Amino acid sequence: MAGPRGRALLALCAALAAGGWLLGVGAQEPGESAAGMRRRRRLQQEDGISFEYHRYPELREALVSVWLQCTAISRIYTVGRSFEGRELLVIELSDNPGVHEPGEPEFKYVGNMHGNEAVGRELLIFLAQYLCNEYQKGNETIVNLIHSTRIHIMPSLNPDGFEKAASQPGELKDWFVGRSNAQGIDLNRNFPDLDRIVYVNEKEGGPNNHLLKNLKKIVDQNAKLAPETKGVIHWIMDIPFVLSANLHGGDLVANYPYDETRSGSAHEYSSCPDDAIFQSLARSYSSYNPAMSDPSRPPCRKNDDDSSFVDGTTNGAAWYSVPGGMQDFNYLSSNCFEITVELSCEKFPPEETLKSYWEDNKNSLINYLEQIHRGVKGFVRDLQGNPIANATISVEGIDHDVISAKDGDYWRLLVPGNYKLTASAPGYLAITKKVAVPYSPAVGVDFELESFSERKEEEKEELMEWWKMMSETLNF
Amino acid sequence: MGFRAAWALVLLLPGGLIHGFPKPRGVEDKSLHNRELSAERPLNEQIAEAEADKIKNISPPENTPGETNYSFVDNLNLLKAITEKEKIEKEKQSIRSSPFDNKLNVEDVDSTKNRKPIDDYDSTKSGLDHKFQDDPDGLHQLDGTPLTADDIVHKIATRIYEENDRGVFDKIVSKLLNLGLITESQAHTLEDEVAEALQKLISKEANNYEEELNKSTSRTENQAGKTPGKVTLKATTQNGFTNRESDETISNTLTLANGLERRTKTYSEENFEELQYFPHFYALLKSIDSEKEAKEKETLITIMKTLIDFVKMMVKYGTISPEEGVAYLENLDETIALQTKNKLEKNATDNKSKLFPAPSEKSHEETDSTKEETAKMEKGHGTLKDSTKDSSSGPGGKTDTPKEKTEAYLEAIRKNIEWLKKHDKKGNKEDYDLSKMRDFINQQADAYVAKGILDKEEASAIKRIYSTL
Repeated sequence: MAGPRGRALLALCAALAAGGWLLGVGAQEPGESAAGMRRRRRLQQEDGISFEYHRYPELREALVSVWLQCTAISRIYTVGRSFEGRELLVIELSDNPGVHEPGEPEFKYVGNMHGNEAVGRELLIFLAQYLCNEYQKGNETIVNLIHSTRIHIMPSLNPDGFEKAASQPGELKDWFVGRSNAQGIDLNRNFPDLDRIVYVNEKEGGPNNHLLKNLKKIVDQNAKLAPETKGVIHWIMDIPFVLSANLHGGDLVANYPYDETRSGSAHEYSSCPDDAIFQSLARSYSSYNPAMSDPSRPPCRKNDDDSSFVDGTTNGAAWYSVPGGMQDFNYLSSNCFEITVELSCEKFPPEETLKSYWEDNKNSLINYLEQIHRGVKGFVRDLQGNPIANATISVEGIDHDVISAKDGDYWRLLVPGNYKLTASAPGYLAITKKVAVPYSPAVGVDFELESFSERKEEEKEELMEWWKMMSETLNF
Repeated sequence: MGFRAAWALVLLLPGGLIHGFPKPRGVEDKSLHNRELSAERPLNEQIAEAEADKIKNISPPENTPGETNYSFVDNLNLLKAITEKEKIEKEKQSIRSSPFDNKLNVEDVDSTKNRKPIDDYDSTKSGLDHKFQDDPDGLHQLDGTPLTADDIVHKIATRIYEENDRGVFDKIVSKLLNLGLITESQAHTLEDEVAEALQKLISKEANNYEEELNKSTSRTENQAGKTPGKVTLKATTQNGFTNRESDETISNTLTLANGLERRTKTYSEENFEELQYFPHFYALLKSIDSEKEAKEKETLITIMKTLIDFVKMMVKYGTISPEEGVAYLENLDETIALQTKNKLEKNATDNKSKLFPAPSEKSHEETDSTKEETAKMEKGHGTLKDSTKDSSSGPGGKTDTPKEKTEAYLEAIRKNIEWLKKHDKKGNKEDYDLSKMRDFINQQADAYVAKGILDKEEASAIKRIYSTL
């Protein structure tokens, strides 16, 4: 009889005409009809957040609006361009935008690196708007967060893929269309595979952090890297990020390192040295998302294997092996701890569901942000009070070090416990300190390192003193 | 809002009924999943493969997810839309003679053509396709071979040329877009191709006309109607046209323009009786002052007409039953009534129009009413169940964005100033901060333009807003 498609088309026509008429008449009266249009078009709107999909121009406009509303605490910048020339836009929120304040940790959210996994992209736009609104309302949590953190939000790392995915007609989007960038590269398999190197080093000896020393040159010369990947790598190297999350879709879980199996098998729990804190971080996201942490939630698809999921979290490799992913790249090339969050069973759900995804994830997003203020943090300086950059901070019992940033500042995320922290730098004598770490806030521990030459001078002086004393006593 | 709820419900239904859509793979074949995910094949390969598949074995458009290429199937879809449109137009318009009719007539005569490809792809039709068997609209060439893409483009261009109405193209394209049979980029490609073909036609005709003018001084009415006039598909076409055409055609332009107006007027007036189904709409039309807002009235009528045509077409093909068609039209009328009421309320309370120096420029850019209509259709299309808005790359996408955008920005700026005022309560620092703010904003806006974060118009709009505060 009459197909549902027919009905749909007619409904489309009907609303189209009604809308079209309104727009047509409105052409002559900009002010009034613009508002009328806004009412009609913004199907669901709350406090300036419009819960609808944003294509590239709308994404840009949304970020510009946030900036215009909160010029004192925000700044927009770009990390590079996609293959098709779209800017990889980032909005930064902090009390001193554009400036790294010494001791202030840096956080990032990256969404939509798979172009057809759309929920993350939208959530991050909503988040930017939300943080701005709440800040202006005087929401204490948000105000403190923005004053004490530098938050970077990149709604889409793959704007080209998103356009492709979004251009599909109708509601049901293909599982793969728009996933990769415009060159057909899956960005989450495109990062240098540092896991492989680390696994070899584990057996034969070698570092497992800050690999790829001469990074910039290698990155720029590597023809296999997509422009988006290159942009992100530079970004990670330039800013001393401490904590990050990478938003995806297609399932509902918070995933942590390592992503690649040690043995090369399809799945096998492969823990990294910071397994404890990562589990805690993953939980800090999932526990605030009712759907993600629901123990009786059925898997997204009937035959999915979610046996590795615990409390809405999973080790990456235990779920399935992913080589060349951004998450592990962060951990192994920089100080940044990153988890991968899968936000939705459906990769590109219908627009009307966006509001409920926001409701489900709002608290998780904020809570995860707050995790940055955990563990130990401080400065590494020399005896004159000058900062020592690239000093190594190691923790006894955890085989993974962080290094201090340009101002000598460092941040070391840790679960509660008693630790011995050692700061060392070439040409300086290492110092070890004992620290008792609570759940939060971060404990401040500063180091003043004595350089070898200073010590030599000291020793020389001591010797002179002793000689003087001896000569006076013995009269020579 | 029962209508909306019903509408939402109805649109949820297709979800379960579209079968050929690929389901996401189960995780039990994770190794397969991995392998598949390790690298997506380059786009070119995929497109080439899709093309090859389609040429071999034509499948319904609903079953081809993702990669829709400008392929054989799409050509046929396009043709179908054209032919339908032609049918409807034929019913209404008076007989016209044209040098191109001969070609069509010859094809009319041949009734031995097959319709299989077209039958195949539209699974919603229910046997009302006998009309195609005579091939009255030339889906095949004289020798029976199927039309190529070029032929189709040529046909569209011809049709536009004949009717001297750019709206033909817009109507076809908007219908196709609405049906989801082509994408925006395909529409653009088509537009380009048709523009080219049209340009060729026009120049060819101009040459012929010049020759004829030299031969005989008298021209028939029909000929006058056919000479190239103000038909433009895009700026480049227009430029080419004005460059090439001689002075003779300028006088023709005037006669043609009148003819065009005359034609659209008859179109609207003679079908007023159909609009009796829309009492509210009818009342609205009457209320619009014909003289002042003739364009508006025309636009409204065209919109309604197209809708009615569309409904008729759907009923004709059995996609919906006549009762449903009528029900929808009645629903539509009610919605219009509601919108009218809302709009009147909005007019009464809203007085923000003072703060809009910039947007009014852009709203009057559209002088061609049919282009406006397409733009509106596309915008309307974007607000509906299609989960994304395609106003970004569509031809009409810019019409409302500047207004809405500037309003959004204005709102944001207002909130900012409010907040700043609240937090900088240090005596007379209000004014001081504002000028400092202005400088800062100017500087930032310029920096953002340089980096590609803002475009020039936005930056100047923002600066302007700040300077007025």
